[in-house]
Amino acid sequence: MADQFNLEQFEEARSEFEEAYNFDRDDPLFGLEQSELRGSKMSRRTVLRLLAAAGTLSLTDVLLSACGAAAPAVQEEPAAAEVAPVAAAPTNTPEPEPTATPEPVGGGELTCGWAGTGEIVTLDPAQINQVLQFQITSNVLSGLTHINPDLTAEGDLATDWEVTDDGLEWTFNLRQGVTFHNGDPFTADDVVFTFNRSKDPEQSIHSGVLENVTDVQKVDDFTIKIILAQPQASLLTKTLERSSGRAMTIVNRRALEEMGPEQYGLTPIGTGPFRVTEHQLGQGVTIEKFEDYYDPERPILDKITFIPIPEPEPLAAAIEAGDIQLIGGNPPAAELIDRFVTNPDLVVSEIIGPGFQALFINPWREPFMVTDFNKPVSDLTQENGFKVRLAIAKAIDRDEFIEKALFGRGQPAFGTVNPAMRFFFDTAINEVSEQRFDVEAARQLLAEAGFPDGEGFPTLKLLVTPAGRREGEVLANMLKINLNIDLELDVKDFPVLIEDFDAMNFDLLRLGSGGDYDPDDALVDWMITTSKFNGPARPEADMAFGFFSESEVDDLTDLERVETNLDKRKELVQQANQATSDKVAAVFLFHPTDILVYRTEVNYPEVSRIPGLVDLDRTTITA
Amino acid sequence: MTRYIARRIVYAILVIWAVATLVFFMLRLVPGDPIRAMLADVDPAAAAAIRTKLGLDRPFHIQYLFWFRNIFQGDLGNSIYGSHQPVNRIIVEAIPRTLSLASVAFLISFSLALVTGVVSAVRKYSALDHTLTFAALIGISMPDFWFGILLIILFSVTLGWLPAIGYEPLSEGFWAWLRHLILPALAAGLPFSAVIARITRSAMLEVLQADYIKVARAKGLAERLVIGRHAFQNALIPVVTVMGIALALLISGTVVVENVFAIKGLGRVLIQGILNRDYPVVQGAILVVSVIFVFTNLAVDVLYTVIDPRIRYES
Repeated sequence: MADQFNLEQFEEARSEFEEAYNFDRDDPLFGLEQSELRGSKMSRRTVLRLLAAAGTLSLTDVLLSACGAAAPAVQEEPAAAEVAPVAAAPTNTPEPEPTATPEPVGGGELTCGWAGTGEIVTLDPAQINQVLQFQITSNVLSGLTHINPDLTAEGDLATDWEVTDDGLEWTFNLRQGVTFHNGDPFTADDVVFTFNRSKDPEQSIHSGVLENVTDVQKVDDFTIKIILAQPQASLLTKTLERSSGRAMTIVNRRALEEMGPEQYGLTPIGTGPFRVTEHQLGQGVTIEKFEDYYDPERPILDKITFIPIPEPEPLAAAIEAGDIQLIGGNPPAAELIDRFVTNPDLVVSEIIGPGFQALFINPWREPFMVTDFNKPVSDLTQENGFKVRLAIAKAIDRDEFIEKALFGRGQPAFGTVNPAMRFFFDTAINEVSEQRFDVEAARQLLAEAGFPDGEGFPTLKLLVTPAGRREGEVLANMLKINLNIDLELDVKDFPVLIEDFDAMNFDLLRLGSGGDYDPDDALVDWMITTSKFNGPARPEADMAFGFFSESEVDDLTDLERVETNLDKRKELVQQANQATSDKVAAVFLFHPTDILVYRTEVNYPEVSRIPGLVDLDRTTITA
Repeated sequence: MTRYIARRIVYAILVIWAVATLVFFMLRLVPGDPIRAMLADVDPAAAAAIRTKLGLDRPFHIQYLFWFRNIFQGDLGNSIYGSHQPVNRIIVEAIPRTLSLASVAFLISFSLALVTGVVSAVRKYSALDHTLTFAALIGISMPDFWFGILLIILFSVTLGWLPAIGYEPLSEGFWAWLRHLILPALAAGLPFSAVIARITRSAMLEVLQADYIKVARAKGLAERLVIGRHAFQNALIPVVTVMGIALALLISGTVVVENVFAIKGLGRVLIQGILNRDYPVVQGAILVVSVIFVFTNLAVDVLYTVIDPRIRYES
């Protein structure tokens, strides 16, 4: 790793670290976190400052984290100057300026291909259920906060905020002089209206995200109060930010009433930098510069067109021919990336993405039956069922899997908490997890469980979607070679696969998650007994839980989700994550890479390089 | 004749009804729940609300009756996905794209096919015939997605003459419309043209053996007239049958070509609907497709009488 960053990056990180330390040398260690939750943003600087002050972070850590996240970054020559790997660049200026060109070229039109989809089904935040949809709305609509490349929250329509000591009452000051695309002024009423709409399951599919929010009150035209049922650490990054296209993305009441929800879903009215001017269902969306956007510096482009392109080969041809200049939407097919990297007309920007992918093992079926995870790992490893689970987990060489199944694009995973979360991610887990690759130990475990050299091991079914076939084949092959056990691929369309997953009707199943910006997206959504994915449709009489249930993980998660002290929360998150890894809640495989491909005439500034999003408000294009 | 057509229309409606009904129930027997697939990470309350809103919580036969009642009011329902766009709108937006693509493809395939078919037949076993036969064989055998990709690589990436993907409506100008359609129409049309060319050739060969051709030649008619008027018109019947089927197939779905060239036509509406288990969309699209099929066939049958006045449908 040390050879992958240069002296310049080293100096940069060092000075940042020292400044951070010097800056707050005299600050009291406690009470700092509370104040960090106030204000208009939680920058990486504050996080560093906090850690340095608390003495939990050494210079090496700063450098390693900088370099670790930058490691998979592939930068084409022409872009190197413009798009530095995100982690290595300081993001400590309060209002980062576009760094792409000294004098940004104004205007211009950009055509984007939206990969792997035939249609932008909806742009109504209340109905959005795909990343490729909120990638577009993030340019059209606004929320109270917006995440930055470090996955921490910055003020968007809120300028700053305060939280009471009990963590239950948040007061947000709203930006003044903001206008909707239809000319309506933005006020506290719009926030209240949006809340009431999103809270109603009849009108919004995200009502669940607002479960913990009991009320949103208007204090005056530009101040609102959010009342929580219990403290929630993820309020800014999950409830409010996922709002770049989700529950609390501000919608316009008059437009909704005039258009009706169906038309609003095609041409929504918001307060974002661009406004939707045309939407041909299935053929494309056109957005144009909104002249009255609150930041006069943005946007720079005049017009952007998004064309859905379902097939990989035409997508590649289109960007090579220059018909499109940027690829967003679903991740482009892995086999295309190497071809893009070698094309001098293209820039391939790779950063670690916010998600995890795993192999789920049904604990209610032999030969890996485990009906009670509530014991120490040392006890669990006495049980044959757990031995088989662990053997499978340890028999998978993540690096080789990533190389073969993903053409090298991804990072080994040992838990649901992903490295894009930076602060919360525990880099040590790759070294200490019980799941780490060890063929000998895996064979030993399998033999102890009664299947020496895989003898007598039943042929199991591995459920995958058609898109996951390649990964499934690599897994099956690897387990055959390493453990001499047979997996049979069972390929099912996603709607069928997800039903089997809900009902716990599988032996082994490939699934994962994306867009996980907060630890709660990983732990609360996936790893606790009551997680919405944890066997919601299982036969409850026969199965006490879904794929995993462990009281320590449940307790730690209950604590971390209400913990507003960042350090304490981090510790709880990492402990819970470690427990899910050691007890093989699932065989964790990889954290996907977030890949953005664009032509060299496009300048995509590093400050916009937010994992999972394609924010084009600072993007420029040279004719 | 009128009675014949009227009877055929009644049959046609019955066929369409049967297809629509079959599809309605078969769809619901296919495993996979559309709401669950769509709301991978959403709470049950929202899922229940959508089910109620779209009437999916009712028994099948009640859903069927509602759907049928709405059809007669010209309402095909609403998509289960996203902002629940009306199926009417989805189909109405897709039809011009499909018709554009199908008509250009049809024009290309049928003009190419008739010329090569006739030439092949007249110059039978010549080098030209063999070349055309070989070309047709390739045309029939080559998968259209592969052919489409080759076209893109040659004309878009290498030569940069035509756009690789997308569609422009005719309202954006004739050339903008046409240049987006040339490659997909070639990809969709050439396989059909190969088939039609082969059929034209064999039909022509058969006719050219006939006594009345000998008579025509014997009475000293110019070869051009023998081929053009006497032989060609009589060879047309099988050709028109195949062209009718080709046209119906082109309209109802050049799914693969639409996917390759990122054109959202009827075919893609249908396939995407099936993959998403978006019942109302699939039902609506199937209904439209079966109408197109049945009525194209009817039109072809009527066309026979024009081509060959000996054919009469009076009982």
